[in-house]
Amino acid sequence: MIGDRGLSDYSVEATGLTKYFGAFKAVDNVSLEVPTGSIYGVLGPNGAGKTTTLRMMLGIIDPDAGSSRLFGDQRPQAVRHRIGYLPEERGLYPGMKAREAIAFMGALRGLDWREGRRRAATFMTELGLERVIDEKIRKMSKGMAQMVQLIGSIVHAPDLIVLDEPFSGLDPVNQERLELLVKRERDRGATILFSTHVMAHAERLCDRIAIIARSQRRFEGTVDEARALLPMQVRYTPRDSRDAAGIAAILPATAERHGDAWHFAIEDADVEPLLSRITASGHGVTGLSITRPALHDAFVHIVRQVDAGFAADATCDAVQEALA
Amino acid sequence: MTPFLRSMFVVARRDLISIVATPTFLLFLFAPLFMLAVGALGGMGASQLADSARGAGRIVAVIDASDIEAARDADARLRTAFGRPPATLELRVAGPVPADPVAIAREKGSDTYAVLSGPLATPRIVEREPDSSAGRYLALLASEVLRTRTTGAAPPITPRFENLASGGTSIAAQQSMGFAAVFAIFLLTLLLAGQTVGSLAEEKGNKVIEILAAAVPLESVFLGKLLGMLGVAILFIAFWGGVAVAGGFAFATQIDPAAIAAAGAASKPAIALTAAPASGWAFFLGVGFCYFLLAFLLLGAVFLGVGAQAATVREIQMLSLPITIFQVGMFSLSAAAAGAPGSNLARFAQIFPFSSPFAMAARAATDEARAVHLLALGWQAIWVAIVIFLSVRLFRAGVLNSGGGWKFWRRSRAAADGEASLSQRH
Repeated sequence: MIGDRGLSDYSVEATGLTKYFGAFKAVDNVSLEVPTGSIYGVLGPNGAGKTTTLRMMLGIIDPDAGSSRLFGDQRPQAVRHRIGYLPEERGLYPGMKAREAIAFMGALRGLDWREGRRRAATFMTELGLERVIDEKIRKMSKGMAQMVQLIGSIVHAPDLIVLDEPFSGLDPVNQERLELLVKRERDRGATILFSTHVMAHAERLCDRIAIIARSQRRFEGTVDEARALLPMQVRYTPRDSRDAAGIAAILPATAERHGDAWHFAIEDADVEPLLSRITASGHGVTGLSITRPALHDAFVHIVRQVDAGFAADATCDAVQEALA
Repeated sequence: MTPFLRSMFVVARRDLISIVATPTFLLFLFAPLFMLAVGALGGMGASQLADSARGAGRIVAVIDASDIEAARDADARLRTAFGRPPATLELRVAGPVPADPVAIAREKGSDTYAVLSGPLATPRIVEREPDSSAGRYLALLASEVLRTRTTGAAPPITPRFENLASGGTSIAAQQSMGFAAVFAIFLLTLLLAGQTVGSLAEEKGNKVIEILAAAVPLESVFLGKLLGMLGVAILFIAFWGGVAVAGGFAFATQIDPAAIAAAGAASKPAIALTAAPASGWAFFLGVGFCYFLLAFLLLGAVFLGVGAQAATVREIQMLSLPITIFQVGMFSLSAAAAGAPGSNLARFAQIFPFSSPFAMAARAATDEARAVHLLALGWQAIWVAIVIFLSVRLFRAGVLNSGGGWKFWRRSRAAADGEASLSQRH
């Protein structure tokens, strides 16, 4: 049931989504395009507007401005059966057995109850939950219930799987299981769109990411493109550190000395000239590491820039008010 | 089946099973037993009280010894002619000293309603209440005894009673049937439809509502929940209807058919059964059931929509009073309409959507027209759809913070923009 039913290369196309809650602008002109068959991460700090963006995309709430298309269709209701959704606030009927809960969620999306029960048993066995297949939800741990809900959101083999903070509340073992499940669904051909504020998962899973901060999209691209926003970090330890002035002369002006080692950042284009200068200087090399910053660093950098912009705006306004 | 209907039935099925497959449902199902038990206990007490009161009451006639036998015969004859005969007659022989009827009336040990004394031609009758039936009964008794004394006992007559079979059902009987239909539908909806008010609380409490809202149209969720509750109501009715029919059969097999024929021929229930609603029994019962379904769906949809707005269990509990008042209001309107068929009030009650099922059921008892009921059922079904539509819009706007569908009352974005930037800066 994958892909070929939509005419677009994008499973999700959102344009200028905007949402107010009272006077508060929760989402401001956010646009996203999620390529079919990819794993796409929507990253952002708490309260950035990730969940509201996802809800608007799925048609759970209506945007005040902008529009979204799922599989090329502007009516999310029309393609509901092709979508699986795990909301941020987990919800299951406590009195239902796990197998029934999964079959129920599948039935909501058009899957036959009997087939839903069969698939539920298969999924749960694969995820090591076979002991609790016929256990009532209220008797399960939070993590187990979350896995049950996750299975419920994919039991009907959807073409688009939307997971809102899927890793929160899971222990490391279940987080790894979930990562494997996400990759397997992508390999099946499904498009995965998930939100998180834990960068490690996004770094391992995502083909593309969008970073939302202060209600607006601040970045869109691949993980490598995000990491490339920051210069590479260099740690250089010369063989002989006594000529500090000579060593400083061949390094960038921003280099800082920590014991025998020097730390500094350089652009990609400056790597080879640096290596040439070190070799020619005769200071030798005991240790040299050139590392690309992690997604975490890029994320923090972007969010801090946005926060700093807001703080500056606020200061300007305060000064203008004082002058007035 | 369309995806909308399929998802509606999925929700209905889950709700029905989740309600029926719990021990609480048994409590709900057998609740009428508790009601009957309490009613029976109260009835027994009241009956004993009435019996003891009836046994303690009397009327007294103080007459000559020669008239005692005639008075006893006259009393026996008169009692058979009265639908509700007076209290037991106590006959006393008049002595040489004139009896004091006031003293007799005030004797302890029983309630004395009237006392007759003195000559039968000019009796003195002391009665507890002026112009009471007990006093008039004693006067009639004296007259009968006097007539017997003067003309002798008349030979017994042998009357032949004939039933007026072709007279048709009286208007009053049909109006009573109409009222009974209104009352039955009201009672069932009062017991069953009111429960829909809290049926979305579970989804809101468990956060399942977002899964439902993402997976299926909210209209199908609302309708599915309504259908689930209707299924519970029909189970309830089917169970007690089955019990009543089985009980009736069991009772009938315990009685000698000849005795039934003999005793039932002139009994009130037998007479009632010969009466029929204007539209005929089969149509009346069938359309009555349809009106119950529509009444349940209409009122249930209103309660579901109102209850969906409630944020807490306490709010839902607080809603039960206005909801009950609303139901009683619709009952009162329809009951008044049933008592005045053809009036403007009746027409209003039949058209007003929330009283229409009750009033139209009453109309089926007094009016033989049938096509109008199809029209009414369609009208009520349209209102079920309207109420669900409005409830969903309110739910999306108020509970899901969507606001979709209510754009006409939103403020301009430009104004909100200004406020938003201000609030973020402060």
